[in-house]
Amino acid sequence: MMRRLLTFALVLGILLMGAAVPALAQDTLKIGAPQPMTGPDAPFGDKFKKAYGMAVEEINAKGGVNGKKIEVIIDDHQAKNAMAATVAEKLITQSKVLVLTGGRASGQAVEIASVAQRLKTPYVVDHPSADIITAKGFEWVFRNNPTGSIYPQAFNKFISEVPGAMPKSAAVVYDNSVFGKTISNSALTFLKSKNVPIVNDEAYPVNSLDFKPVMTKVKSNNPDYLLMVAVATTDAILLTKHAKEIGVAPRAFVGFGGGFGVEDFAKELGPQSQNVFSSAAWSGNPNDPTVKEFYKKFHDKYGIWPKEHEVEGYAIVYVIADAMRRAQLTGNVDADREAIRQALLKTDMTTVFGKLKFGNWAGPLGDPYTNQNIYSPDHSVLAQWLDGKLQNVWPKSNAETSYVFPDNTVKR
Amino acid sequence: MALRARPDPVDTFVQSVVSGVLTGSLYAMIGVGLTVVFGVMRIINLAHGELVMLGMYGAFWAHALWKLDPFVSIALWAPLMFLGGMLVYRLLLRPIIPGGELNTLLYTAGLSLLIANLALFAWTGDYRTIKLPYAITPLRPFGIAVPIPLAIAFALAIVITAALYLFLSRTDPGRAIRATSQNPEAAALMGIDVERISMLTFGLGSALAGAAGVLLAPSLYLYPTVGEILIAKCFVIVVLGGLGSVSGAIAGGVLLGLVESLGAVYVSVAYKDTIGFIMFLLVLLFRPSGLFGVGKS
Amino acid sequence: MTRGSAGAAVLVLVLAPPLLTSNPFLLHLTITVLLWTLLGAAWNLLGGFAGQVSFGHSTFFGVGAYTTMILYLKGGLAPWYGMVLGGMVAVLVSLPIGLICFRLRGPYFSLSTLAVAEIVRLVALNWEGLTNGPVGLLITTLPRVGWGGRTLDWESKAPFYYMIAVLALASMLATYRLSRARLGAYLLAIREDEDAAESVGIDTVRAKVLTLALSAFFTGLGGGFYGLYFRYVDPDAVFPIALSVEMVFIAVVGGLATVIGPVIGAVFLTTIGEMFRERFLVGHLIFYGLFMMLVIRYLPEGIWGGARRAWAKRP
Repeated sequence: MMRRLLTFALVLGILLMGAAVPALAQDTLKIGAPQPMTGPDAPFGDKFKKAYGMAVEEINAKGGVNGKKIEVIIDDHQAKNAMAATVAEKLITQSKVLVLTGGRASGQAVEIASVAQRLKTPYVVDHPSADIITAKGFEWVFRNNPTGSIYPQAFNKFISEVPGAMPKSAAVVYDNSVFGKTISNSALTFLKSKNVPIVNDEAYPVNSLDFKPVMTKVKSNNPDYLLMVAVATTDAILLTKHAKEIGVAPRAFVGFGGGFGVEDFAKELGPQSQNVFSSAAWSGNPNDPTVKEFYKKFHDKYGIWPKEHEVEGYAIVYVIADAMRRAQLTGNVDADREAIRQALLKTDMTTVFGKLKFGNWAGPLGDPYTNQNIYSPDHSVLAQWLDGKLQNVWPKSNAETSYVFPDNTVKR
Repeated sequence: MALRARPDPVDTFVQSVVSGVLTGSLYAMIGVGLTVVFGVMRIINLAHGELVMLGMYGAFWAHALWKLDPFVSIALWAPLMFLGGMLVYRLLLRPIIPGGELNTLLYTAGLSLLIANLALFAWTGDYRTIKLPYAITPLRPFGIAVPIPLAIAFALAIVITAALYLFLSRTDPGRAIRATSQNPEAAALMGIDVERISMLTFGLGSALAGAAGVLLAPSLYLYPTVGEILIAKCFVIVVLGGLGSVSGAIAGGVLLGLVESLGAVYVSVAYKDTIGFIMFLLVLLFRPSGLFGVGKS
Repeated sequence: MTRGSAGAAVLVLVLAPPLLTSNPFLLHLTITVLLWTLLGAAWNLLGGFAGQVSFGHSTFFGVGAYTTMILYLKGGLAPWYGMVLGGMVAVLVSLPIGLICFRLRGPYFSLSTLAVAEIVRLVALNWEGLTNGPVGLLITTLPRVGWGGRTLDWESKAPFYYMIAVLALASMLATYRLSRARLGAYLLAIREDEDAAESVGIDTVRAKVLTLALSAFFTGLGGGFYGLYFRYVDPDAVFPIALSVEMVFIAVVGGLATVIGPVIGAVFLTTIGEMFRERFLVGHLIFYGLFMMLVIRYLPEGIWGGARRAWAKRP
């Protein structure tokens, strides 16, 4: 019995040792990025991998940061919160990364932020949008991209500024995720403040297989505008498809969420994607020549046009590199992390994503942000799918073309 | 702006019912394969969703590479999956069965992980759909929207189910399957090669899963882990109808489709899945052997 | 080798790690292993001994987690008390669940537990007033606690390690005591043939309900610990089907109805999972699935069962 116990303990020890493989000592500046590389979110993890990769290549080709090369270490969190915590801990304590980024989905990002705050490592958020991430007073967490409640700003401006565009009634269909709830909440608050009657307020479970019942319900109320929020691309595609099949006939279809802004949307829906608005697929100002150049470079390298995720991932590496460059790095991991944090507080730069300066301010729904990009309210744009291409249409300063409104593909 | 007429509430109701039945029939197709396998071998195949996924990808690649319409390529994939299923049974499942039902179930869970992630590796996680030129505008009989691929799938599902019925009731192997399903020991005593029937049944279940996938593909979207979502619905259906009963699975599927559709429109979209599960629990409590009463405990 | 000294040896083995290493990630892994041990052992009581295969244990886990978080964030009750209360709420919840599900046998029972778990998850997702819905509940600071004259350092892994170690050991002890008690024998009888057990005069309903309550209690404790350690709870993290299935895996892979099975299952599955993820960024689950299949194929009685068999066969 004793021997069995001892052999068991030995095996246990060896296994645990094997699992916690210490990082090879390398002279690179390490950035950790938990991402979903398996499971339904895998395509997004892949986008970030490509984006980080391109940025790292460029920076290293130009001599790296103060002579040292940078490296992004990606680890799969499988879209599970507990796994995200494990992966973040591993990156921080085993791989000894200086900075964390990534996360992709808000649930995992909140967990990563919690870990980063406790283990005193800067977490520079590139994409996750839950307000709570920068609204809990975490001084180690910074965010470049807009929060969920800011997303609808451009849409709000559109309906306020374009004559006759204020909805006479609105149906809002959103998914039951943090993302869906935050955005719908923000949009609904604004619409209600303008006394727009909300005829449908429907939350659906993420990855629904069938939206025909929802759309039947929506159609029976004949909404003037149909707002759809979807964190998953699959939901975005099916929502639009079923809405059109059932025959919902608003003056405008407006989509909120990553799924409405990816190439797949038009590729899979074809003509059914025509005239659908996509809010907050902010991917840089397409009228800016530097940004256009980036799009082309990315397309040449990977064969796909970068959108929201790719631009955010690419930009964040530059943000981190900039902070690393200004920080006095000594090789002592703890001191370096603090130095980078101090450098981030002083960040004042422009990336292909847009202008960036971290600050403390109050969001549209009153959330107290810390280290949130003060230019975020500008990073909301209303785009529209026209002939298979997503083009910015509002505000005018970011517009690539004029909008089409009311929707002329729908028979009323 | 002129006031638009609101749809007639009767229209809304009919539309709900039609959508529910159409969608439900596809769910039912998925359930039939699972229930047949359970009836004969008492195996709950957790990899069933992945077999459906393989059917979906089969349809996709046949369309992308050879321009074959899915409703045509089904004639290719169903037999292939039949053979594949038999192989899987013979090589992988048969040695596990003596380990007990729980072990077999967990084995299929491991298999499901394996297949889904191999697919992820091979075909990447990118979402795909099958774009059929006739799929864009739905039919509108009496103003009710009926998407064309769904209608065709429904019709084919009826044909396949009818064929299955004939097979099970009129042919020798079919009757042998039913006999084994009712009582394996008695069947063996009657001279039925239970082993061979099991292999045949698993092949049949796989073929049905693959066929369901092909039919479903034009109306849904494809990605490697879509199986896990489908299988959750599948379980509710087969238990509703009675584990082992083909007609039960069909009734269960259509019923679930109807309940979810009407529930979403008239009760609450957020809770529509809950309604389905509550109904499921109620049936389990008051009629545990399922609607058609042939399920065994 | 007396039982007492074996027990002492186990105690030392389990309590030693924080003293042997200060590598936080290694400790994090061990904490994860111990949490899974607790959950696996809890499931094992009902599934291994009584043969009632539940696929809905995430219900109790989530209930424990949310109770702990809500009582702390909205009521100020320290999470270690909340954890115990979480376990008790899980027991309360298990009573109606048992009432409904125990009427069914075999796969029907299993699927009914799954249905219940899904319903609870959807309720948690939509009942925002109570649970904050999909946004979830986040602990930013834990209360200051004194222990032996110093305040506990929540940044260190040690306090969490000892907490979960104690819980895991408690669950193993409970399993041990159960296996020796009459209730244990009743459960095994029920597992073999419930009707026969009834006919012999065993009160199967009472036995099953008691075992479910015990199982739910430990699972709820585990959920409370999860909230305390991982600091963040949302419906998808604590109520998913995958969690229930993982608990089953651990108990089966380790060895059903044994005391040490869950530990072995937890150790193997956690470390194997880590190793594969380390090696293969995208393909690691392929190997994980393969590993599962191989274990069940060649070690149908679990790793402990297989090891015992091999040990018995030695010349």
